Parts: sequence; structure tokens; C-alpha cells
Amino acid sequence: MIGLIMFLLTLILLMAGFPVAFTFAGVAVIFGVFTQGVELFAFMPYRIMSIMQNTILMAVPLFIFMGIVLQKTKLAEQLLEAMGELFGKVRGGLAVSTILVGALLAASTGVVGASVVAMGVISLPVMLKNNYKKTLATGVICASGTLGQIIPPSIVLIILADVLGVPAGDLFKSAVLPSLVLVASYIFYVLIIAYLDKSSAPALQSKNHNLKKSQKYLTLIKAIVPPILLIVAVLGSIFSGIATPTESAAMGAVGAVLLAVIYQRLSWQMLHAASVETIKVTAMIFAILIGATAFSLVFTYNGGDILVEDFIHSLPAKEMSFILISMAIILILGFFIDFVEISLIIVPIFYPIALSLGIDMSWFAILIAMNLQASFLTPPFGFSLFYLKGVAPKSVQTTDIYQGVIPFIIIQVAVLLSLIIFPTWYGFSSF
Amino acid sequence: DEKKPSSKNQHSDKIYNLKLAETWPSNFPIFGDATKNFKKLAESMSNGRLKIRIDSKNKHKSALGIFDFVKSGQYDLGHSGSYYWKGKDINTLFFTSMPFGMITSEQRAWFEYGGGQELMDEVYGKHGLKSIIGGSTGNQMGGWFKKEINSVDDLKGLKMRIPGFAGEIMAEVGAKPVNIPAGELYTALDRGTIDALEWVGPSLDLRMGFHKVAPYYYTGWHEPGTELQFIINLKKYRSLPQDLQTILTTAMKLSAYQMYAQSEYESAKNWENMKKTYPNIQVKTFPQPVFDAMRAANQKLLKKLSANNPLAKKIIKSQSDFLQKARAWTAISDQAYLNSQSK
Amino acid sequence: MLQQKYSQYLEKILIGLLLLTIFNVFIDVLLRYVFSNSSIALQELEWHLFSSLFLLSIGYTLQADAHIRVDVFYAKFSPKKQALLNLVGLTIFVLPISLLSAYYGFDFAYQSFLLSEQSGDPGGLTHRFIIKSMISVSFILTIISALIFARKNYKVLAQ
Ligand code: NA
Ligand code: NA
Repeated sequence: MIGLIMFLLTLILLMAGFPVAFTFAGVAVIFGVFTQGVELFAFMPYRIMSIMQNTILMAVPLFIFMGIVLQKTKLAEQLLEAMGELFGKVRGGLAVSTILVGALLAASTGVVGASVVAMGVISLPVMLKNNYKKTLATGVICASGTLGQIIPPSIVLIILADVLGVPAGDLFKSAVLPSLVLVASYIFYVLIIAYLDKSSAPALQSKNHNLKKSQKYLTLIKAIVPPILLIVAVLGSIFSGIATPTESAAMGAVGAVLLAVIYQRLSWQMLHAASVETIKVTAMIFAILIGATAFSLVFTYNGGDILVEDFIHSLPAKEMSFILISMAIILILGFFIDFVEISLIIVPIFYPIALSLGIDMSWFAILIAMNLQASFLTPPFGFSLFYLKGVAPKSVQTTDIYQGVIPFIIIQVAVLLSLIIFPTWYGFSSF
Repeated sequence: DEKKPSSKNQHSDKIYNLKLAETWPSNFPIFGDATKNFKKLAESMSNGRLKIRIDSKNKHKSALGIFDFVKSGQYDLGHSGSYYWKGKDINTLFFTSMPFGMITSEQRAWFEYGGGQELMDEVYGKHGLKSIIGGSTGNQMGGWFKKEINSVDDLKGLKMRIPGFAGEIMAEVGAKPVNIPAGELYTALDRGTIDALEWVGPSLDLRMGFHKVAPYYYTGWHEPGTELQFIINLKKYRSLPQDLQTILTTAMKLSAYQMYAQSEYESAKNWENMKKTYPNIQVKTFPQPVFDAMRAANQKLLKKLSANNPLAKKIIKSQSDFLQKARAWTAISDQAYLNSQSK
Repeated sequence: MLQQKYSQYLEKILIGLLLLTIFNVFIDVLLRYVFSNSSIALQELEWHLFSSLFLLSIGYTLQADAHIRVDVFYAKFSPKKQALLNLVGLTIFVLPISLLSAYYGFDFAYQSFLLSEQSGDPGGLTHRFIIKSMISVSFILTIISALIFARKNYKVLAQ
């Protein structure tokens, strides 16, 4: 009961606008001290130490750094504009390019923050300049920037692999087809909207129409090849056994700096600015992890874990109803709680039930990952929405972003449902 | 005088709530069953006067914080492995299982009759703790290898995930111990980022999927009889009535007995399963020269441990003396019997 | 002046930690793949650097007002109202958790110091208390940054 009150109060207090991390931790201290006494917080160092020793999380600062270096060196921007050119007079081309670049970035980073921030800086101004609707532009960026969550390598899949006892490598393979379907659905939606509503996504005004065809293709190749090479380097280092998925993040970071050297865009100022930005994004993510662990400390030691567990165990133990209800719970919780906490607190409660029902764990993991990805997009507390707001021009309101992501959440849920109803399409055995 | 029995009764009705922290995640097979059994036994033997609450890793979030939790009194009891504390007190190393050491039957004889428990009391007493055996996994397998080991040279430069003291022996003979988080072990082994790893045995290895990517399953040498441990906060222990103290330690030993039986059962069952489903798994044993090199490395490291540490020296001597005595008997009893049956 | 120096030094340390983390992981990969070698100490150094990085960056980011907020209402508040909210939040949310974590973090590190705790893995790092003490250091820095940020907000409020 105390857990429930604490939970609701936190949601209300978060709306006041004080930093999320400290609101979580602050409410935890107030409730913890009154219900369990000050000594409860002697557990804090142990919990923080567990985050410190979770070397998988090391990928966070490394991938963010890579993304920001790509952004600051304008290599990612060139890529985007070059691809936009390819669409010529077709409406929505820039948005489709954004989605494709988002997917490529996603294939080399496992971190949503990095790609949303990068995509926001690179493509939002370009789309707004070309008279895209603010809602469509922000929706596309949030959705495609969040693809890193499901397209391997992905942090969430690594965490879920651990929690559900499935090899991470297996999960990465299973995630490929569902991700492709998702990307295709995004593109399909954008093309339809652009066709139906002429003003929403006008065609790009070419900068290069004076150039000869051969010159045009040369600029295109020059812009597209380097980022692709980087992606090959990162993914390749995992597949060839040179590095673990976490270590591949460092390969990407070093690779991005090397690209900057090759293109003569490395400067101390650039490195300094990229580092400072990386540090801030890292701090905000880890502060939330620490705030959330304080929150779950007080929540679980007040019996909140038993509350949730009893509720989950009271659910009907039939395969399909279990899947549907567990997905609904994760989706709703995802509106409010961070994906790491869901993976580490809620999923372990589902695990034994799923195990006893004989559910294909890879399938279950992909369902959860797809679901959690939607949670990044759901207002009011979706991470992608925060990140984009952080880098968007003043003219873009938080409510524009909230409106913009709604169609993409619907697409996400539709793909999720198709995964649930037709698992064999995606190569899963379900039960 | 007539009041005395009733006040005694009141006293004996008092309920003692004890909290236990375990290293394992909730519902972890076998290891987690040991604490569940312990709770059931302690509560029913005490007729409800003991109430045990088990907090798994999911709740306290610190798998290797158990020693400190119980030492500081944040928890009254713990369930873990003694060798996890070797970085805090090197003398805790000896009470789980030692490379080339005793098998479970021998080691339990050492604990009960060969002075093992007394030595363990001496080591843990210094930290305000008491330790009781917590369940054996039986003989652990030597691990999964991508290539065959035919000579000591094959170990040179071998990238292997093998933590703790066994890792030191491997390093001594030329292998390169590597730290890889559990979640990435499969990918690392699959892609050849590492060449080998050790885990537990058939009872727990199957769910990790290593057999799909490394064909050679080597027999054990480094953990011949891995015994988990219960730890008790001594101050708390002494505050309990005598009968509850006995119930507590008896319930621990009984659940340790059950866990050993369960491990043997699960290993046998899973091994049968593995063999049937994955006929390509090849069980191998290191050739004698490899064992000789590792044994020499073991001796060298043990000598180093004894050098400036009288208590370690005492424990090592007690173990090796007892091993010699017990092994002579094992040789003409179990070993002779098994040899006679296998041909 | 002093505040500026403080955040400049902190920033330099943080940038150093970030670049060292990247370099360290890269070197470990290179060592293992190219030279078939590996050092547990170097691998442990990875999480020592990485965790120091995120621990020490929390206060720095608070001072720079870059932590995530739900700004639907906050963005519409007047500067004075924002400053007031920040002062209240710093007092009832930031200070208590920081004080508690710093306090218990000290004992956490001190116990480790008393046992001369070290890594249990072959060739691992010794002096575990140093990295454990980063928890206390992190929250002490967060308190200092909170005070600086509070002063900034107080100035807005007093105008
Ligand atoms: Na990804
Ligand atoms: Na083992």
C-alpha cells in the first residue's frame, strides 16, 4: 500500500518539473526514513556499487560519445542530405532518409539518447527549413532515434538476455526481422501521410542541381561511405570476435575520432565540446539509474515487490492471456518507469511464469524489447521526448513532440500485436 | 515457584524474525532451493518461533554484498560461497573447494571430524560471523573449450574466463584469464573473443547454451566438491535461545544435505539430456602432463599463501593431511569399486 | 571565481576520465586480439574509470542545470517561480539523499580499507577502498554543486 502511494505521489511530483533523478531519490528518502528508518539507506552504497560494476553499462558513455562526434563533425548531416537528394521530387524523402539514417545509427549504437540527440541536431533543422510540419518532423526523429533499442546491438536486449537466461547473440539474431518490419512500417506511414497531406512533408530543394550527374553521385558516395564504414567496423568487431558488444562501443568511439582525423575535422574544441556533452548525457542517465535504485530500495523493502508479485501471480496462467496482460502491464508501466528498471524489476517476476508456461524466451524477450521501445516514446515521461526537447529549437513545444509521436506509438503497438499473433512469421515458436 | 513455568513458556513463545540475504537471483534453481528448504525446516522445527525472510539478489541488488550485510547486521543470515570473500580475507578461500582438493564426501568428513568447522569458526569469528555448510554442487566441470588441450603449450595464451584462485593457477601455466560479464559470455565464446570458460556443470550449464558454440567439455579439477555456505551474525546468534541456535544450524546442515542430493540428481538428469540432444559434445580430460603442470602451479601458489600467514598455513596443512588420509581410504573403497564396475 | 575554478577543474577531470575510459577499453581489445594477451588489472581499470566518470559527473551536470526534467509546466513558469521550485527541490530532494549516501558511503569504503580489500580475480587491482570511496566523493561534490546552483537560483529570486 505504501508502495502504491509512493508511486502515485512520485508521478504527481515529477510533473512539477524538478529533475527526474532527484525527484525519485527525494521521494524515496522521505518515505524510507518514515517507514523503515534512516538505516535503510545503508544499502545505497551497495546498490550504487552494483551499477558501477555492471560493465555492460559502460557502452552508454562510449556510444553517446561516438554519436556526438559524428554529429559535431557533420559526417552524419552529410549522410542525411545526400540521401534526401536521392528522393528527388518525391514528398517525404527527407523524413524517409531520417528514418534510414536512424536505423543505420541504431545498428551501430545501442543507446537511444545518442541517436535521438544526434538526429535532433542534424535533421530537425533541415526538415523545419524545408517546411515539414513540426509534429511529423519530431515524431520521425523520436521514433527513428529510438530504433537503437531494438536493432542490434542493443542495451535492452543485452539486459534482457541476462534476465531471461537467453544468449545475447541469439536475441540479436531474433531481433533483426522484427526491426526491419518496424522500419518498413515507419517509412510506409511517412510516404502515405506525405501523399495525403501535401503540406506536411514537401520535397527537398536540391542544392546540387547545377552539378553533373557523375559529380552528383561522387558527392553522394563521399557522404554515405564513411558512416557506413564505421558501422561495419563496429558490427564487424562483434561478429569477428574482436570485441564483445560492450567493447564494440569503444571501437565505435575510436573509429569516429579516426574518421574526424581523416576528414580533417578533428579539433581540440570539437573534442572538448563532444566530451562535455557526453558527460552531461551520461550524468543524466546514471543519475536516473541511481534515483531509481533508491526508489526501488524503498519500494521493495516496504513490500512493494510482494504487491506487484502477488498481482502478477493472480493473473490467469494461460499462455495467451499471460502474454497479453504482461505486455499491457509493461506498456503501462513504461509510461512512467525507465526501461532498465522494468527489465530488472518487473521482468524477473514474469520470468518464472513464462518459464513454467514453456514460452519461447527469445520471443518473449523481443516482445518486451519492442514494448519497452514504445515506452521511450510515450508521453509524458518518454526518454526520447526529453532528449529531443533538450536539443530542439525554442519554436518546438513539448506538446508538438507529444502529438508527433502518437502515430508512431500506434505503429509500434501494431507491429507488437503482429508479433504476438503471428510469431511464426518472425521465426519464433511462441509456446 | 508456580509462576516460573508460565514465564518460561512465555519466553519460549517469543517469535524471532530473521532476515537472510542470498547471492542468487529469486527462483534461481538448486542454490535458491537450498534457502527455501532451510526456511521451511527452521520454521517448522521451531514450531513457528523462527520466522525467516529470504531476500534474493533482485531485492538487495548486491550479489557479493552478503558478507558485509551480515557482518554489519543489516541482515542476520546469508547464503553464498566462502571463496567470494577471498579479496576481503584470504583465509575464507579454503572453505568452498580447492583445486586438486577433497571431493564432497571427504570434505564433509573434514568439516565434521577433521577440524574443518573449528578452523572455519576461527576465520569467521574474527569478523563476528559464524559459517555453516550450505550445500554442495558436487564435482564441477572444468569448462567449455573451443579447441582440444593436448599439451601444456595449448594452454599458453588461451583466453579463458575463469575467476578466483583457479584463474591464478591457469595464469601460472600460461593461460590468459579474461573478465567478461555473464550476459556477454555466450557471444564472446561464440565469436572466439575467448577460447574457453568455466561455469558449473550440467545442472546449470545447459541454460547458458555454451554447448552450441564450444564442443569440448572438460572434466573437473579445480572445484572437486564445491560447498556453498550459510553465514550467521554471531551477535544475533548468541541472542537466540539455545534450542533455536541448534534448530538454526541443524536446518542449515539438513538443507545442505538436500542440496547436494538435488545437485547430483539435476546433473545426472541434465547430462543425460545434453548427451541425447547434443551428441556432438565431446567430454575430455586434460592429459597427465597438463595436470602435472597445474598441480605444480597449485603447490607453488599455496606455498606463497602460507608464507606470511600462519592461519592459512594451518588450514592448508590440515586440509592436505586430511586429504592424504581420506584419499587412501577413498582409493580402496569408492574408487576401487567404481573402477571394478567401469570395465 | 572560486566556483568557476571548481567547475573548470571538475570538467577537466571528467574529460580525462571519459577519454581514458575509451582508450582503456580500446587498448584491452587490441591487447587481447592482436597480442593474445590480457590483464585482469587493466580490465578492472575499465569499470573503475567508467564508474568514476558517471559518479563525479552528477554534481557537475546539476550545476549546469542539465538533468532531465518533465518541463510541460516548468517551461511555462516565470523565472522566479522556477528558481523557487529549484530551491525547494534542492533542499528536500537533493540534500537528503546526498547526505545519506555520502555518510553510508564513507562507512562502506572504510570497512573495505580496514580489510585491505582487493580484487578476488587473478592479477586484479588492490586497494578496493579507493573506488568504493568514490561514492562518498560523488555525493559530497553533488552537495557542493547543489549549493552553487542554489545560490544562482537565490539570486534570481532576490531580484
Ligand atoms: Na542498436
Ligand atoms: Na564454477
